[in-house]
Amino acid sequence: MSNKTFMCILRSETGGCEQPTPSEMEVMYAQYQAWQDKFSDNILDMGNKLGDSGSVIRQDSVSDGPFIELKEVVGGYMTLTAANLDEAIVVIKASPMVSNAGVSVEIREISTP
Amino acid sequence: MTQDGTLEHVFRHEYGGLVASLLARVGTQHVDAVEDAVQYSLMQALNFWPKTKPPENPSAWLYKVALRKLISTFRTTQRRNELLILQSELTADTNDEPIDIPLSKEMSDSMLRMLFAACHPDIPVESQLVFTLKSLCGFSVKEIALRLFISEENVYKRFSRARKNLKTQNNVLATLTHSEMKTRLPIVHAVVYVLFTEGYLSSHSEIAIRQDLCEEAIRLANFLSQSAIGNTPDTDALLALLYFNLSRMNARQDDSGALLLLEQQDRSLWSQTHMLTAMAYLQQSAQGEQISRYHVEANIAALHCMAPSFNDTPWQKIAESYVLLERISPSPLHCLNRAVALAQWQGPQAGLDVLQSMDLPTWLHRSYYWHAVQADLLYQNGDSEYARLSAEQALEAAPTENIKALLKIRFEKWQ
Repeated sequence: MSNKTFMCILRSETGGCEQPTPSEMEVMYAQYQAWQDKFSDNILDMGNKLGDSGSVIRQDSVSDGPFIELKEVVGGYMTLTAANLDEAIVVIKASPMVSNAGVSVEIREISTP
Repeated sequence: MTQDGTLEHVFRHEYGGLVASLLARVGTQHVDAVEDAVQYSLMQALNFWPKTKPPENPSAWLYKVALRKLISTFRTTQRRNELLILQSELTADTNDEPIDIPLSKEMSDSMLRMLFAACHPDIPVESQLVFTLKSLCGFSVKEIALRLFISEENVYKRFSRARKNLKTQNNVLATLTHSEMKTRLPIVHAVVYVLFTEGYLSSHSEIAIRQDLCEEAIRLANFLSQSAIGNTPDTDALLALLYFNLSRMNARQDDSGALLLLEQQDRSLWSQTHMLTAMAYLQQSAQGEQISRYHVEANIAALHCMAPSFNDTPWQKIAESYVLLERISPSPLHCLNRAVALAQWQGPQAGLDVLQSMDLPTWLHRSYYWHAVQADLLYQNGDSEYARLSAEQALEAAPTENIKALLKIRFEKWQ
């Protein structure tokens, strides 16, 4: 059975987040590397961060982002490959991203016809 | 970047170098903006390096990102003068030419200058220590509080004090003269020494934490000895002392992390490599006219390290060295150590006589050291009733569970 591709959308709560210190970053970086090594077959693209500013375009209006009215903002994306959603969940659950308070990751299959 | 090319500690170690070299350019009054810019560049690294590969020269990458951030901060706050200082790099940057990255040698030089700037005679030693840990070694307020056993609020106070002073020392990094640095060298030595001691004696339950502080102290001492200003016999003696103590590090705890007495330590676990390094520094330190406390302490550490067993330790030489140490650097703690060595050499009564003759300050009377030594010597002398009293006081005054456990082992021997 061929693998499916999943889009992972990172959301984080705005504000109130204390900056990590250099030694904490060291730990986080090591965790990232360990996670990437373990799931290198699943990670297609580590994606990127999304900028803070943007616009929302609707039929009748264009409004400026960032979307501070929302509690959570989309901060980044990445793509995974996995046999099914359950496997994708395992990969993301093990990632250091979700170990941060206030961060959530939404996983959606990229469906192809 | 560590010598073997891994990225271990890259964030923490680069932090100090980046802050120092940027401050050297724009002046210490901009310490807030510089710290923010460096923090930003490390965050960018954390975001990007897992996605791409870490760059070949992480220092250069981080410096470039921090510099750009600093430039943009100065632009928005309309700091023209500071922008001009960074102008050369600014133009080079927009032309997409490689910008002038300071070499690691320059970075460690800047770090050293920062260290000397922080060791201003007006700043209390505790503040200097906290500042060094935070700004040059990259530890957080929380971590420093944990390592120094003080409250976070206290760390913050000490840190602010040093920082406030640094901001007022206008352009200090550029103007600090050779002779000023020379005068401050003993303070710098003291900070490195305290840093190591905190790591070595704090007896915190987590080994890694203690080792970290010791390694930082050695890193700074190495920078010192490689610099024109710090390359003195005293620095060599300090390095010898640090390496001798480091060499015994592995044997100081058992598998469960409990501390071991010198008598109990497996001497085969002592690191020969560190001992050889220490010996080399000790040899180098034997130059010049003056003898510092570090010379004497390194010598004492050497005597312990060279002894084949606890019983074969040259106690007479050690006791004599403590006499010398007291003369150079009077402290009741040195006197207490002399009492211990003397008791090993001439018997417990000789040690007790020293204790009796001592002018005991309150802080020492409150610490467990005093009571523990007294209990030990009294037990040895067969005076178990008084010994038990002292032992109880020592246990009561012990700051951590680890030290308490160690004391118990020490006293149980006599029961």
